[in-house]
Amino acid sequence: MGTLTKPIILLVVIYLLLKFVVPNIPGSAPLPSSLIFLYLMLTIAGIVIFYTMSGESKDAFWGPIQRFLTGENIGALQTARYAVLILFPLLVGWQTYGSTAVSDAPPAENRTIHPAPPGEYTGLSNPVAKTPENIMQGKGFYAAFCSPCHGGNFDGKGPAARGFNPPPANFSDPTTIAMLQESYLFWRIKKGGVGLPIEGMPWKSAMPRWEVELPDEWIWKIILGEYDGAHQSPRTWE
Amino acid sequence: MTRVMHRHMKHSAIAAAAVAVLLAGTANGLAQESVAVRATMTKGPLPVDDPNAAAWNSAPQAQFPMSPQVHWQNRIQEATVKDLKVRALNDGQNVAVLLEYADPTEDPADAAALEFMVGDKKAHFAHGQPMAQVEGGPVNIWFWRNKDGKGVDMSAKGFGTLKTQSHQDVTAKGAYANGTWKVIFSRAMTTEHPAEDMQLKPGEFINIAFAVWDGRKDGAGDLVEKGSQKAVSSWWYFRAEAPPDYSGYIYAALAMGLALAFQFVLIRKLKKGQSA
Repeated sequence: MGTLTKPIILLVVIYLLLKFVVPNIPGSAPLPSSLIFLYLMLTIAGIVIFYTMSGESKDAFWGPIQRFLTGENIGALQTARYAVLILFPLLVGWQTYGSTAVSDAPPAENRTIHPAPPGEYTGLSNPVAKTPENIMQGKGFYAAFCSPCHGGNFDGKGPAARGFNPPPANFSDPTTIAMLQESYLFWRIKKGGVGLPIEGMPWKSAMPRWEVELPDEWIWKIILGEYDGAHQSPRTWE
Repeated sequence: MTRVMHRHMKHSAIAAAAVAVLLAGTANGLAQESVAVRATMTKGPLPVDDPNAAAWNSAPQAQFPMSPQVHWQNRIQEATVKDLKVRALNDGQNVAVLLEYADPTEDPADAAALEFMVGDKKAHFAHGQPMAQVEGGPVNIWFWRNKDGKGVDMSAKGFGTLKTQSHQDVTAKGAYANGTWKVIFSRAMTTEHPAEDMQLKPGEFINIAFAVWDGRKDGAGDLVEKGSQKAVSSWWYFRAEAPPDYSGYIYAALAMGLALAFQFVLIRKLKKGQSA
């Protein structure tokens, strides 16, 4: 079985790399199992091509596999052979069941929370000066229009929030407005939930389309008040 | 499994903490609100007039939080109904949905409604109002009001488009007792008007949303909750449970048979090749 040791080690090493090392590279993320499966398949294809390049290496590669499958002169490996012969059909059956059985769970939802805004809403700067008066006025508008859902404490826990799914954004959470530019907030407030692209699932959002009720200047002031009240700063590229 | 867990916990406090976190996670999962109403399959006829029929006990109860309608004008900042309990039954032909909610007073204008998406297009939960970047579809609304004592089958696609359908397929019946409304809506699972009516196929998840109006009046004699001033929910899921489906097992058995046959043929071929 000596010839097969190297390919098996190679497969294991690549699997461990994909599963445990790649996700820890900064800026990376865990790979989906389907992608890992695809990479391993490509690796196996590569190994097979490599070993079948010459007749000699081909025999060295396939010989042990053939001997193992036919069970001739493999001694103690006989048990492993039976195990493989029983496990393979079971695995095929299990996979088939998993892919054909009717699921009892509701459809999975992969809603993008902060989808890309339309081009005209990128890079706008707040035309309202960041003065104490404007911030205070913004907080007043926020209390009147936004706090019923987003909460007087900017935590997304306003009295009207409970029935809505997705829940209103929690602005004190560092992964919401602190990651976004003022321009993005302007778009989301002005166009509301129905302004979202399909990946944002606009049909579920209760965010009003404030452009029909509030002038732009009020929206910009609300943004000032929101950042100040939630103790966050807008994301900038400087 | 349990024994393994115990051993781990003896080994280190870190493992014990990890298990505790895991268990807490599971407990949270159980405490979460429902995401779907499951209409249990039962032998007909459905108890469409009797909210206290024993058959309802066979259906699991889903619970959904309600919000005052603050999404569009005219808004309301506080609504009476905070939670809605929902059960549903189907007999393969008809579907019945039982809403249950607390309301301190029985009023003629007390009302409730179910909303469904119609067809394959997504519809915004607020009456299927237009979306900027997605082409939406219409909604089908089943409406009941205490003083009317019947169900009304309605359609909407955007604000100001709500209309009573020319063909009425929905029945509704309300019963008030001990500060609780129980309202049953029912309809055939499919109708001949797929462009306007929700169509229910067994086993398929569709979207459902709820609305409730407390018909009480304020000091001046005006209705406090009316029109868009109501308690609402977002979209949740609804499914008519299908008869048990064993096809997954049959396909798995077939695949296993094929895999066995493949092994058998392969080994035979290999053995022949070796002896030749």
